[in-house]
Amino acid sequence: MFVEYTWLVPLIPALCFAIVGFFGRRTPACGGYIAIVGAAASFVIACLVSYDFWTSDAYAGPGYVEEHIKWFSLGGHDVNIGYYVDSLSCLMMLFASFISTLIFIYSLGYMGDQGDKRRRYFAEVALFLTGMLGLAASSNMVEMFIFWEIMGLCSYLLIGFWGFDHPGGEDMADNAASAAKKAFLVTRAGDVCLMGGMFILYQAMGSLDYSVIFNQANLSAVDGDTLALASLLIFGGAIGKSAQFPLMDWLPDAMAGPTTVSALIHAATMVKAGVYLVARCLPLFCQNEEVLLFVAVIGGFTAFFAATMAMNNMNIKKVLAYSTLSQLGYMFLSLGAGGYLICLGIKDGNAELVAAGAVGYIAGCLHMANHAFFKALLFLCSGSVIHSCGTEDMRLMGGLGKKMPITSITMLIGCLSIAGFPFFSGFWSKDLVIETVFEAGETDPLGWVFMIVWFLAIVTAFMTAFYMFRLWFMTFRGEAGPNAEHAHGESPKSMTMPLMILSVFAFGFGFVLLTGFDGLLELVPSATGLWTVGNGAAEGVGHYMGELFTNPYTYLTIALVLLAIGLAYLMYCKRSVSPGIVSKDGKSWLYRAVANRWYMPEIYDQVSWKLGYGVARGVDFFDRDIIDGTVNGLSNAVVGGGESVSKMQDGNVHTYSTVVVAGIILLFAASLVLFFVFGGI
Amino acid sequence: MDASMISDLFGEVTPIIPAVIMIVGALLTPALYYGLKRRDVVTAAAMVVIIASMVVNAILLSDDYAGTYSGIFEYNAFSGLMMLLFQIVASLTLFVSVSSTETTILHYGAFNSLMIISAVGMMFVAMSTDLVGIFVGVEAVSISSYALVTMKRADPRAAEAGVKYVIIGGMSTALTIYGISMIYGALGTLEISELAARLGSEGYTWTFVIGLITMVAGYGFKIAAVPFHMWAPDVYEGASTPVSILLAAGSKKMGLVVFFKVFMVMFVGAKVVSGLDIEAVQYIFAILAAFSMTVGNIVAIAQSNIKRMLAYSSIAQAGYILIAMAVMTDYALTGAMFHMFTHVFMKGGAFLIVGALVCVGIGEKITDYNGLAKRAPFLAFAMLVFLFSLAGIPPLAGFTSKFVLFSGAIFDEGPGGVMTQWIWLAFIAILNSAISLYYYVRVVKAMFIEKPVKGAPAGSIRIPRTFMAAIVVCLVMVVVLGIYPDLILGPCKDAADALLGAYL
Repeated sequence: MFVEYTWLVPLIPALCFAIVGFFGRRTPACGGYIAIVGAAASFVIACLVSYDFWTSDAYAGPGYVEEHIKWFSLGGHDVNIGYYVDSLSCLMMLFASFISTLIFIYSLGYMGDQGDKRRRYFAEVALFLTGMLGLAASSNMVEMFIFWEIMGLCSYLLIGFWGFDHPGGEDMADNAASAAKKAFLVTRAGDVCLMGGMFILYQAMGSLDYSVIFNQANLSAVDGDTLALASLLIFGGAIGKSAQFPLMDWLPDAMAGPTTVSALIHAATMVKAGVYLVARCLPLFCQNEEVLLFVAVIGGFTAFFAATMAMNNMNIKKVLAYSTLSQLGYMFLSLGAGGYLICLGIKDGNAELVAAGAVGYIAGCLHMANHAFFKALLFLCSGSVIHSCGTEDMRLMGGLGKKMPITSITMLIGCLSIAGFPFFSGFWSKDLVIETVFEAGETDPLGWVFMIVWFLAIVTAFMTAFYMFRLWFMTFRGEAGPNAEHAHGESPKSMTMPLMILSVFAFGFGFVLLTGFDGLLELVPSATGLWTVGNGAAEGVGHYMGELFTNPYTYLTIALVLLAIGLAYLMYCKRSVSPGIVSKDGKSWLYRAVANRWYMPEIYDQVSWKLGYGVARGVDFFDRDIIDGTVNGLSNAVVGGGESVSKMQDGNVHTYSTVVVAGIILLFAASLVLFFVFGGI
Repeated sequence: MDASMISDLFGEVTPIIPAVIMIVGALLTPALYYGLKRRDVVTAAAMVVIIASMVVNAILLSDDYAGTYSGIFEYNAFSGLMMLLFQIVASLTLFVSVSSTETTILHYGAFNSLMIISAVGMMFVAMSTDLVGIFVGVEAVSISSYALVTMKRADPRAAEAGVKYVIIGGMSTALTIYGISMIYGALGTLEISELAARLGSEGYTWTFVIGLITMVAGYGFKIAAVPFHMWAPDVYEGASTPVSILLAAGSKKMGLVVFFKVFMVMFVGAKVVSGLDIEAVQYIFAILAAFSMTVGNIVAIAQSNIKRMLAYSSIAQAGYILIAMAVMTDYALTGAMFHMFTHVFMKGGAFLIVGALVCVGIGEKITDYNGLAKRAPFLAFAMLVFLFSLAGIPPLAGFTSKFVLFSGAIFDEGPGGVMTQWIWLAFIAILNSAISLYYYVRVVKAMFIEKPVKGAPAGSIRIPRTFMAAIVVCLVMVVVLGIYPDLILGPCKDAADALLGAYL
């Protein structure tokens, strides 16, 4: 019965946006409390909806609840608007609203000194949350796309929040402004793909409702190549939104926004939307194994590639940004590998492969939720540190552990979790991901690709542990840096309280895997009907314990993690091993390439902005000067004396008319060719 | 009140009564201004006339009225809807002209009169049943707009723009009449309803193709389709902003109406009735569409004057709408008309803001907009909405209309049907919308993020109240049409059926 109120989940933050936006100045904390209450209310309703759904007959029966009304109709087919509740959307709504609530509470303290600007801040974050919750609850792709774009718009506004006057000065403000623009435009490149994919899918299937397009009977009726094209284009949208290779460059720059916004973008909203899209559309992707291979390779490569850039960065937020990219890569890798196994299993009628693939799907979703918790925690901790010492450069920090005990310990929990230290939440999901990839590697004939990716994934696990503990040791241990000496000390309660709550989840959320999470989020393929998420058989507590701890590769990963932590300890805490040995004191080409982000920003700059703007200038020049010039020259030669008369209006008119005549001649020539080609005259 | 009461009242004149009412206004306003010398009274009178005409038209339209007047003019769902569009444009422009500092004071009566006459010309184009009627209507618009452009007397750019516009316009008129005569020679009729059948039986001839090309070129001017676009940025920049709106939102749509009711009906009819192969013609329009949107969007990036930027973006928008001419289906036509409506509000709204800011002394350069969000938060917000709508960001009107329009290039008869060969055109269009975001964001960035130039006045901005009201109307429509597209999409469907229904 609560499921009927699903529409309230995105609506409440939308109302908060309107209230704070219009009347924020007259409310306490410039609308901060309203935004918090709204997010909390959304969370409560999401809880009720989820509980109601998971205990209802609908969960056992069709596995989903869908309600929609007609929005408008196109050529005899309706585009609907409504909600679609299944386990995946419940999971998304729950963790997005919960984490956002905590981030909003934290913002009270973190943005406390911003005065009237808080109104804009709280209005925009409320709209941001609307986008994410609406995305999760949407019943079709058009509706989802609308919320998807709302989120893109909010990220633009929020990353550019400091654009007007940055506390750090004018350079930082410009930096924020250009980062915002970059984020908006780069993700748009993905959106173009997504929109194209949507159109093709709509054309092929006649509807974009989830309950229609994920129905195997409808999918089988469509040409496989069309579906592959649609899947690849939709994945293009996910690449843009979730900042995967090669559209990854905007996310590190997006650190120019307030830290709370980074936490929101990285943990609860925005980048998770891409993962959600792939998880949601996996039935579609599973029609072609090549598509899934592509997803997995992009994910695996991004995981590795982004991790390299985190290794020597000195900015505390940028390290976290790269780690997000890397972890998102794991999620795509998991979904890709899992889907690949499911796809092969269905083809060969091999139930074991399908079951192994389902584990990959579960691992991807679990890692998405786990990552939301520990990344929110890590960002908020870094915000607390920045708040206290007023810098983002880790070289100026150090020894903060004593001054900020709560931040220090909660951040340690976050680091252990993301590094995959045994029994912390990140451990469960990450090891399942790696295991799934290994299983995909044992299939024919493309298993060798997965083997390479598996190797990258293992190395990434090592690097993750290393750079996270490098960050922690540099910040909280060792000698106090110049800024750390003047640090304010521990942050206010409104900031530390969310940290403590999040650290509990960052430690313990992984255990849900042992208590039925796997059944809840199992992708159940269907030969003739709708692919559903959920309602799978939950394995007992022992199953995953056994599976993970009897697998020798798990111990290999654990050993690598421990080794990495030890190495980081020696280099950055005890300082008995100098990092300079490896980097040749920052002179090795590898170190410089990594420090310059593998020159990606330059490549982007040269290729897209310079080239794009250059082409525009060129065409403009061509349009106005070359054509003008040529025509002027011609008419000078022909008309001679008459020139001076017609020159009265700076000589453009008659050139325009000549262009027109030239245009007509061209058009005429073109139509002759066309009529010749198609026959006619 | 319903259509039967109107037809009882006006008898056989009913089909053209909306236009007749407006003509009365056109005759009235110069006399009023001569007598009273008061701009507000004249504007009030003009607005009363236009709104009366709009109400009559809306009643006729909502009652599905159809009728003809002496065989020359025809009122149906298509002409009614397009007339409504022209009336909306005319009312928006006239309403703000009263407080704009760019419009003439000396000739304000004539200014009003010419504005209304050009709107009436557009309405005649929508209603005409033969090519000569269309030609006369277009000329009425052209000649009055030549005068309107030059009426911004203080600005030398206006004089220059006016001369250019006259010369180029004269050329387009010559081409058009030449084309019409060739088509008459080839097909032996000027009746639009008979063109299709004649073309089907005669087939393509040299005479016909020459006529077709020259006519497309002639009306291509009005649409400002590439390569007939070069006058548009100069003229939009030089003219006073209300006139720019009339040209960008009104006169351009009139050209598209000609394309739809002459060419689309002719070719679709010839194909359905006689099985004529029209693919070559479709490709001509596809090329025009692809070039218009690409050149328009790319050149817009390099503009520093906001009116020029909006002009190039108009060229690109015309390219999007021309997709319907390539696809030539009922469905695509619906999308095109829907986009014409949303374009009026988004582009009109953006131009209105530019015009309002000119009135308070803010220039037309994009850098003049730096820091606008601090001085005029509402205007900056409205501009953001209009520009994002133009770029096609949901849930604004531009997204919905582009969605329908672009999907029209992919589906033949609605989703689930055969995929058309025009899918490449849809992809070019989607790519172009992404490119367009780049230059729209530049303005947004200037308004919200850049700091004002040193020495620029600070303090909040108060724009004239009529501008504010018109901007609010556009803003509301952009949001409403985005969320509730059926408001206009339904009538657009009826209009498309009225135009192509005979051949479906």
